[in-house]
Amino acid sequence: MRIGTTVCGLTLAAGLAAAGTGAVAWSLEEAAKPYAGTTVDVVFLLRPGYEAAEAMLPEFEEKTGIKVNIVKHPYENALGEQVRDFVAGGDFDIALIDLVWIGNFAENGWIVPIEKFTSNPDLADPELDLDDFFPLVLNAFGGWGDTIYGLPFDNYSGLLFYNECMLKDAGFDRPPETWQEVMDVYGPALTKDGKYAYALQSKRNETQSADSFARFLWPFGGSFLDENFRSNLLSPESQAGLNFRQELMKFMPEGIVSYDHAETVNALAQGDVAFITEWSAFYSTLKNPETSKIADCLKIAPEPKGPAGRKPALGGFSLAVASQADEKEQAAAWLFIQWVTSKENALEYLERGGVPARQSVYQMPGVAEKFDFVPALVESWQEGVPEFRPRFAEWPEITEIVQEWGTKMMLGEVSVEEGARIIGEQMEAVLEKAGYYSGKKPLIQ
Amino acid sequence: MSIRARRRTILGFLSPAVLALALIGIAPLLYAFWTSLHFFNLTKLRHVEFIGLENYGTVLGDPVFWEAMGRTFTLLLIALPLQIALGLGIALILHRPGLGFLKTLTRLSLVLPMATTYAVVGLLGQVMFNLKYGVVNQLIGFLGIAPVNWIGDPLNAFAMIIFWDVWQWTPFVALVLLAGLATVPGEVEEAAQLETRNWWTVLRHVQLPFLIPGLVAVLILRTADTLKLFDMVFTLTRGGPGSATELISLMIQRVGFRAFDQGLASAQAIILLIITIILAQAYIRLFYKEV
Repeated sequence: MRIGTTVCGLTLAAGLAAAGTGAVAWSLEEAAKPYAGTTVDVVFLLRPGYEAAEAMLPEFEEKTGIKVNIVKHPYENALGEQVRDFVAGGDFDIALIDLVWIGNFAENGWIVPIEKFTSNPDLADPELDLDDFFPLVLNAFGGWGDTIYGLPFDNYSGLLFYNECMLKDAGFDRPPETWQEVMDVYGPALTKDGKYAYALQSKRNETQSADSFARFLWPFGGSFLDENFRSNLLSPESQAGLNFRQELMKFMPEGIVSYDHAETVNALAQGDVAFITEWSAFYSTLKNPETSKIADCLKIAPEPKGPAGRKPALGGFSLAVASQADEKEQAAAWLFIQWVTSKENALEYLERGGVPARQSVYQMPGVAEKFDFVPALVESWQEGVPEFRPRFAEWPEITEIVQEWGTKMMLGEVSVEEGARIIGEQMEAVLEKAGYYSGKKPLIQ
Repeated sequence: MSIRARRRTILGFLSPAVLALALIGIAPLLYAFWTSLHFFNLTKLRHVEFIGLENYGTVLGDPVFWEAMGRTFTLLLIALPLQIALGLGIALILHRPGLGFLKTLTRLSLVLPMATTYAVVGLLGQVMFNLKYGVVNQLIGFLGIAPVNWIGDPLNAFAMIIFWDVWQWTPFVALVLLAGLATVPGEVEEAAQLETRNWWTVLRHVQLPFLIPGLVAVLILRTADTLKLFDMVFTLTRGGPGSATELISLMIQRVGFRAFDQGLASAQAIILLIITIILAQAYIRLFYKEV
């Protein structure tokens, strides 16, 4: 693990640097003094983890005198807004990076490696402890190549949320353990009287490629690309997964291709479906009796296994300092990122509805009992694949192709094989143009 | 006033408008044209290169572009006649004498759909046509009809777009045609009505000629509006399910701002502009001759 080595090195460097400065202990207040009055601009999404951070913000602003200006966008607009801002040399001082955007942001030089700050004893919190982040999460959300750019902030793993009452009524005393069980046992038993066993969010946007398409590639042994970066979508494993998804649609509500996260979470919350595979971030919505009819029946398990293992969906966001910010803003931005993702704040972030990526918080006594998604989440983050969706700069183009043809497959407008062939051809054309096959670009995803 | 001084005055009055037009309209257009001749991807600005007409070639040979274009024209060809027929009906009813207060009220309420922001119409549609909780399925449920999957079914989703377009723009057509009917001289209309009781004859030979200028305006404006229809569809279906409601403007937005290929998106936009200009010219030549 080259990233692991880099992380350890950085932690050590930060520790040594802090020790070297000697007598005075590092404090956020002292570190922020030169930057009091600085404003940093950042994009936040309209999701629970961001509300949690926003609620915590007054404490940071009071301690530091740094103002954090939040610009809120729905997920679908967040990439476009940031790309336009960075291209035009705009205002954002912090980049909010979905794991599939990291290659793009890093290759364009829009974000600063964290080493710049971790090697500065005035800015690096000796308690930063990068090793405390789940390695998979830090690597996938914040790293590109051998460099760490961002710290994991809003962290997701795919989980199985299920309505225990509905399962019990149908005679099940546990959730499905494998996808085959879903198809053979749970699906037929739970799809009746206008209710459905399962809802798979499949709307034609990133949801289609990340939540729907990729979710049925990996557990079946498939993947987007082979080791030579050629399409792997026609491999028997990928085809098995995609055909499985197609067949599973008989246990999903009608019009599933128009379901985004909101509709899917709502379907479970209203008791219309027995289980969903959704991001951990939706836990607080489903557990809240004001937004969920099934709050008392809600249980969480890891996603079902396929023939190749669990390999659950992996997604989430890191925060990185934007290179377009001036030195003062960069320092202030780093202090905020370091603070909001810190070990010290992880519990409060979790209690307010966020999902931190700090291993230590999940080992605290009582946390696993209070937040019943924790054991499943920890298990998932140990079994995930960083390249669940390729993270290179070409993903925005490729995801559009997957979204279009993935939806057409589900609607039956093309066969699974034909759709996979077309996606493969178009995907390879994008990669060819980018220079992966001529050796101009290294095969990193 | 000397000729030179007069020229200067004319120039003085004209130049602010021309300058503003150049800055707001022509400069971006020229920039879009320049972009369309380059490989110009926002996330790969280090690799901008001149590629001549390659983007145009890609667009013209891309079946997805023509499918989106086909959908847009299908919408136009279904929605526009409906809007004209319904709008004309409403205009003729409002043109009849009597019931003054009710007619004023109707005229006022006709403005409401037009005044509703496109994006709000789309969001309204999402709520009203929701499969499970939407009021539309509740209403048809009273008639014993099973719930219809409006948003998730390709054909139904397209029908829904047509419905909302007709809902929003029929009043506009009605008001324009009503204004046209008001220009028919009263004595001519009365004389015609004395000659025949057939409303169609009166409409065809007396009223229609006065409606032609308004109709041409409606045709041009509605065609242009439909070709660039974006907000309502974007908020309602986002072009889905699949590509069922991906109109040409949604496709251009997708290519330009989600895949960030500004060069290709500019080429698509310029081809769309050319098609719009040709259509507008055709309308004017075809219909204005009759006036």
